[in-house]
Amino acid sequence: MTNHPHRRPQRVDRRQFLIRGGLAGAAGLSLPALLAACGDDDSSSATTQAPGTTAAPATTASSGPGSLFFENWPAYIDPTEDGLIGTVDRFTEATGISMRYTEAFNDNNEYFAVIQPILGRGDRIDPDLIAPTGWMAGRLIRLGWVDPLPLDQVPNAVNLRPDLRNPAWDPAGEYSLPWQTGFAGIAYNPEVTGREIRSVEDLFDPAFAGKIGMLTEMRDTMGLLMLGLGIDISTITSFDQAAPAFEQLEAAKDSGQIRRFHGNDYFDDLSNGNFAACIAWSGDVAQLQYDDPRIQFVFPEEGATSWADTMVMPKGAANRDQAAAWMNFVYDPVQAAQIAAWVQYVSPVAGVREEIDKIDPELAANPLIFPDAEVLANVYPFASLSEDVEAEFDAAFSRITGA
Amino acid sequence: MAASPSRPSTIIASHPERTGLLALALGGLALVGVGARWVTGPVALVVLALVAMAVITVVATALFAGPDARRKLAPYGLLKPGTLWLALFYLAPLVVLARLSLSELPSRFAVEADFTGTFENYRRAFTDFGPQMGRAFLYASIATILTIAIGYPLAYVIAFRGGRAKAILLGLVVIPFFTSFLIRTIAWRSLLSDNGPVVGVLDTLRLTGLLDAIGIMEGDRLINTPAAVIGGLTYNFLPFMILPIYVSLDKIDERLVHAARDLYSGAFGAFRKIVVPLSLPGVFAGTLLTFIPASGDFVNAQYLGNPNTTMIGNSIQDQFLVQNNYPLAAAMAFVLMIIITIAVIVYSRFFGTEDLT
Repeated sequence: MTNHPHRRPQRVDRRQFLIRGGLAGAAGLSLPALLAACGDDDSSSATTQAPGTTAAPATTASSGPGSLFFENWPAYIDPTEDGLIGTVDRFTEATGISMRYTEAFNDNNEYFAVIQPILGRGDRIDPDLIAPTGWMAGRLIRLGWVDPLPLDQVPNAVNLRPDLRNPAWDPAGEYSLPWQTGFAGIAYNPEVTGREIRSVEDLFDPAFAGKIGMLTEMRDTMGLLMLGLGIDISTITSFDQAAPAFEQLEAAKDSGQIRRFHGNDYFDDLSNGNFAACIAWSGDVAQLQYDDPRIQFVFPEEGATSWADTMVMPKGAANRDQAAAWMNFVYDPVQAAQIAAWVQYVSPVAGVREEIDKIDPELAANPLIFPDAEVLANVYPFASLSEDVEAEFDAAFSRITGA
Repeated sequence: MAASPSRPSTIIASHPERTGLLALALGGLALVGVGARWVTGPVALVVLALVAMAVITVVATALFAGPDARRKLAPYGLLKPGTLWLALFYLAPLVVLARLSLSELPSRFAVEADFTGTFENYRRAFTDFGPQMGRAFLYASIATILTIAIGYPLAYVIAFRGGRAKAILLGLVVIPFFTSFLIRTIAWRSLLSDNGPVVGVLDTLRLTGLLDAIGIMEGDRLINTPAAVIGGLTYNFLPFMILPIYVSLDKIDERLVHAARDLYSGAFGAFRKIVVPLSLPGVFAGTLLTFIPASGDFVNAQYLGNPNTTMIGNSIQDQFLVQNNYPLAAAMAFVLMIIITIAVIVYSRFFGTEDLT
């Protein structure tokens, strides 16, 4: 995803939630060994690990709690602010593990370009965990540049949503755990469109010439266009199948229908009317609506794409046990609820809705954070492409985006 | 002297020019070799040590040689810092890039490209990116002409009418540099947005129809058009045009203009025959400082343009940072460099400074 999780300061609703949520979090903190207690703490939740599988990272106790370095997308976690303790600080307090959390993961392709010469030569990079989107995680797995996760030390991994187990990019589910998931659909400004937007076809309405934005993230833009043409993106295997969508995109670009291809920087364009509609990420819009309630997000009737940003361990990561402790921590529904409430994407952790519902039913009813079954039946992940086919897609896409 | 030809000082004394040139060439070559990784590891350290020793030896022996030898050796010594710097930080990367542009990636995500001497990358650089290349030179040329049109009068006023405010006026030209280039470019997006102040004023003045007709606006939109990209380039490179023109105008002896007027030249005639020719070196320098970076720029096209206004810089950046195709990106960079070099040579033939100074 190009810069998709760009968070802005949040408004009242979420703050209220966090204040109330903070109390629940504080209750968890007071427990002496939170990791061990996680299982007990969510006894209310249906999906906890069997009792007895406690405190897996006990090995770290002998050599001190150690440290951990997680490189994530910008503003993709609840920070410590307004008197509330962010997830990173709660983790440090609970485990004693000092954590370096950076937000340098701005773009899958650009981040890959940075780590490629290092990992490709067999050297190691500093972060113990990085957050590539599923398809990029798949590429790293294929290249052998990531280590299997120490999942035996992550009992809370059982809380992973069933639909995210064994994803196409990591069929055995041993290299990656999702961080957040979401959808790409259409965001629009009704004041500019003057009407409701319902389908992908609406993006090609000549009335919106020069006022349409599309994502630089190939899979989201092409995925949506292909769905619009009735092409099943979850089973696609060759470029020929996608060719009509590329032709459609090229025609739209040549005719000036598309104003620009954008990363996460589409809020202002939508809000100030430069864009009538654009392809957008669900969580972004959930947040943008705090600033500008006019902006609408639709799951197009032809279908929307779904994606997941994952946590993977680059090859040779130094702090495996600490990474396991972290993943175990954030897969506790109580903690995951704190993160989901702030980032407003779809949490990969089962039981989060129940946790949020306890504190703020309104947030739990937000269809962008907790989509209903009808929506979920019409979202599709982009198939895992072979290296050669992916290269064809990327080349065709970059030729059209004009770069 | 002939009795002991092995003494370095003697060799230097007899052939100071040759020694100086040789030391310069060998030192430069050694640094290119190290920079381009022909020699690596301990060998590279030895080579660097030898370069340092050679420099020290030449300098030391020159000190003890006669004044005549020293005088002949001096130019080479003075050239040394610049030459060695360029060898390491310009020539060496250029060699690496040239080699890369003739290589092939064995697989898409391979770290090392295999040198095969293929010209495939150049074929693609020429055939696949024609529109981007064309736009780069078109936009850069228009922006350069606009910077002259805007910058020349401004520099003229500062130089001849600035008076005591000269320093302040020059400071105002430079002040925008205190803010990041990127931020200033992004700020243009809000200024030019569809519901922003500029379009609002144009709309009130009923100018949008006219501007649309002459191709500056597209419909009711100013941002994400070729005009916005050219405007961004003009804005961002304007100080690079103003400053050299100012310097050349400021050097002009105003008595020459007075003399022309005394000899019955009109104000415009004096300007055309005296001021313009004497300021051409400044215009020439400003043109190079503006046109060369503008034709390789990708920031303005990225933030102010649309998918049909991308320039070659965007394509090169995309190949380097998104497609990971270093060999193709290297070939494209070379093609761009060669075209710019040719353009500059042609330009300097017609507009050069040799007969003006």
